Amino acid sequence: MGLDRRGFVKFVVGGVAGTLFTPVIWKGMDDAAKWSQNWGWIPRLPKGERKAVPALSKLCKSGCAVKVQTVGGAPFAALGNPDNPMSKGGVCPICAGSVQLMYSPARVAGPLKKVGEGKYSPIKWEEAEAMLVEKLTPLKGQDGKIAAISGDETGTANEVLSALLAGLGNASGYCAMPGEMLTATRGVKLMGGAGQPGFDIEGADFVLMIGADALDSWGASVANQKAFAASHPTGEAATARFVYAGPALNNTSGVCDQFVAVPPTATGVFALALANALISVGATCSAPDFADYKALAAKCTPEVFEKATGLKAEVLKDLAGKIKAAKAPLVIPGASFGQGSGALDFVAGASLNVLLGRVGQKGGMTLLPAAPKALSAAADRAEAKDAGSFMAQVATGKAAPAALIVYEANPAYALPQAGDMTKALGNIAFKVAFATYMDETASLADLVLPAPHPYERFDDAMNPYGVAKPTYLAGKPVLAKPVVDAKDPVDVLLAAAGKLGLSLGFETYADVIKAKAKAVGADMDTLTGGAAWTGEPKGGSLSLGAAALAKAPAPKADDKAVALAPLSKLACGTTELACPPADLLTIRDTELKGKDLFVQMNAATAKKLGVAEGNKIKLTGGSGEVKALVHVNEGVAAGTVAMLMGFGHSAWDQYTKGKGDNIFKILTVSDEAGTGMKVWAGSTVTVAKI
Amino acid sequence: MSGHAFKEFKINWGMVIDLDKCTGCGACMTACQVENNIAPMVDASNKMRTLSWMLVFELSNGKPAPEAEVAYLPRPCMQCGHPACVPVCPVVATDKNEEGGIVSQIYPRCIGCRYCMAACPYHARYFNWEDPIFPKGMEKALSPDTSTRPRGVVEKCNFCHTRLMHAKDKARQDGGDPEALAEGAYIPACVEVCPTGAITFGDLKNPEHKVHQLSKSKNAFRLLEKLGLKPQVYYMSNREWVRKLGDNYAAGGKPGAEKKHS
Repeated sequence: MGLDRRGFVKFVVGGVAGTLFTPVIWKGMDDAAKWSQNWGWIPRLPKGERKAVPALSKLCKSGCAVKVQTVGGAPFAALGNPDNPMSKGGVCPICAGSVQLMYSPARVAGPLKKVGEGKYSPIKWEEAEAMLVEKLTPLKGQDGKIAAISGDETGTANEVLSALLAGLGNASGYCAMPGEMLTATRGVKLMGGAGQPGFDIEGADFVLMIGADALDSWGASVANQKAFAASHPTGEAATARFVYAGPALNNTSGVCDQFVAVPPTATGVFALALANALISVGATCSAPDFADYKALAAKCTPEVFEKATGLKAEVLKDLAGKIKAAKAPLVIPGASFGQGSGALDFVAGASLNVLLGRVGQKGGMTLLPAAPKALSAAADRAEAKDAGSFMAQVATGKAAPAALIVYEANPAYALPQAGDMTKALGNIAFKVAFATYMDETASLADLVLPAPHPYERFDDAMNPYGVAKPTYLAGKPVLAKPVVDAKDPVDVLLAAAGKLGLSLGFETYADVIKAKAKAVGADMDTLTGGAAWTGEPKGGSLSLGAAALAKAPAPKADDKAVALAPLSKLACGTTELACPPADLLTIRDTELKGKDLFVQMNAATAKKLGVAEGNKIKLTGGSGEVKALVHVNEGVAAGTVAMLMGFGHSAWDQYTKGKGDNIFKILTVSDEAGTGMKVWAGSTVTVAKI
Repeated sequence: MSGHAFKEFKINWGMVIDLDKCTGCGACMTACQVENNIAPMVDASNKMRTLSWMLVFELSNGKPAPEAEVAYLPRPCMQCGHPACVPVCPVVATDKNEEGGIVSQIYPRCIGCRYCMAACPYHARYFNWEDPIFPKGMEKALSPDTSTRPRGVVEKCNFCHTRLMHAKDKARQDGGDPEALAEGAYIPACVEVCPTGAITFGDLKNPEHKVHQLSKSKNAFRLLEKLGLKPQVYYMSNREWVRKLGDNYAAGGKPGAEKKHS
């Protein structure tokens, strides 16, 4: 049978019609639409049994007791632990994104050896540990040759570090990164006392924070926030008043009943002028140096106050009246960025507690007894050298260590005059960094030893700064094995000690913590189950510190410079941790825009400096300069420029590297009169338009 | 589509946010990102591209120093009683049709036209301009509760809807009534994480839940009440200037409102 033209046309038309009627083509299109929506490149969700495992996240300074949520054994979120008396179910913004930090691109994946400027080659742990021992062996017994800088304020790892250095004949090399704890302990000493001060926010009915950003970045911030929340029940009348006296409106002042804009250069004057106002409305105390104190405070007249702060003296009178009327007032001194203020600034603020008879009282300032040690050879925490002063000595050649152990610290970034610090680190022949992340210091080290993330290790926290009662927390790993080739730094140090012929009595950090818990009188299992141990503060009285305060220099007037107020916000990270990826969203576009950081000042200051909103300016101070855009913010104190800390990283990852500038570069270090401490909280800068 | 008429539900899941307790710390935003698998963005300062189901705004009283004051305002999806986004969706990718009154967002249905974003006066909706990119390994820490979304779809807060499902499952397993959850049995991640307890969550219609009373207190208000969208999120503040900002100085409305717009 042949196919003629007509037959062919019929066949084609029939075929087309048939195709249109068949569901195949439509089904095909439907399937194509659906399957192309299957987004093979989109990550799939994990499946498995869900659990909540108690853990201690020490990514923030004070440590958050959390419950890590796991699915099929893999952690995915950190939520609060309502059973923990410290955090009571709250979580800080850093620890809320803590699980994601396990997979940060900045994590050190395995031991690294420096093979050239900025070049590293991965090595095996055996080689790394052998290198550590080899470098330390010739320095054994030569005091001043080995130093260690710790950025951990609360862990018993510090005892291991300190005991190791002592055992190697280098006891003087133990240094701690600057923070409120160091300053406050020295301040207490100047007031005739001893120990770490505590602040019972929970029991107070009037809380005056001088500089201390207690509801965000100062002290045990979640515990502080919980105490604030308890006194401000939603829908009911508040049972306590909170006042913030500091350089700029911040997260703390956002919820305070009152904000008093005090430039960072006038903190001491503010405290003493307030003392003067309180004494004039009848405040008195039995401290032996009351007469001297009164005379000192009398020098801070309302006129002096007005000149130093740019505020009206009525503010002071009003505040004194409110404090006098309160039953349980509490004053918390501190720096707006948690470091750099002098012991005298602490004494000036803390003396108000003595004046008001609030030391050792409920809702007052307490003194914590020295915590029992796990390692008897370790020095007390308060005896640690300040890393800033130590590095300054290294810079000038007064100290010449040949080896430096850096534990959870980032001195190359987070010490004032950061540029000088980086250079000073170059003077040390061998630097080993125990680091979870490739930070600025690890990027300069000769040997980088990866430390586990908090959910991969044992760790503990003794007396986080600010707690009113002795407090001890401990955590154990959530994951059996770290997600990278990390080893616990303390385990590594203990093994190295053994090879150096030194027995510290322990083989692992877990054993050390067990011993610490026992010494404290706590049960390790209960602690790692998410509970906290608390003790009682010790008694004792304090003087007003008049002798020390008498040495405080009068504030210098400098018309060309403006006061620099670094602002710290937990969500932007800490001195040890760059802003976590999950926290980037919280940064406002008036704080950071693209790669430009903003500098904030009120309209009057902007006018005085001849700058306007959006102008690019250069701030010069210390040994460096910082570029930033102007943002006019009426919440900044007179004659002050405020800037957020935590930016300008040259290491880390794509989320933080090269964003903004590092304010530590323009902080000026000076010696505090009478105490010899290095201070940088009252730094000034000059501003130029570019 | 559920129609444009106001739909009554027996349960109205809602929040009362005490603005006098919000420090603006950002823990709620972070917890929200983690719970809802929002990928971190390299440049999160480009607010035209970010996805913030929960966003904390900074409010200012506008006064010069030293009288300046700030307040922080967390803004989830308002889960409006009469949502502006629902009737404009051409493909019913968003609906208010489930007991509890949570406005849904169904990603596979969304065609990315963004009418809903234009309609929402609270800017609570976000468009995925890019595929979610988690740095290598971070996808192992994805939450099992929220599917990841591709580029081209709109997303928004859903009061952590999977948590509601889990709470109902648990009630069923325990022999309880899934439609009568006790206070606290279901709370979104932001509420759970908040260190100052600024957000109270519950059924606005249930007198046994705190939010019921709180939403009626004299200092409670809703955002842009004048639009009549009946949000299920309430705010409260003792500060008059904060309350005034809340309704954008509309006439009538809540205490403190003053007439500005004619």
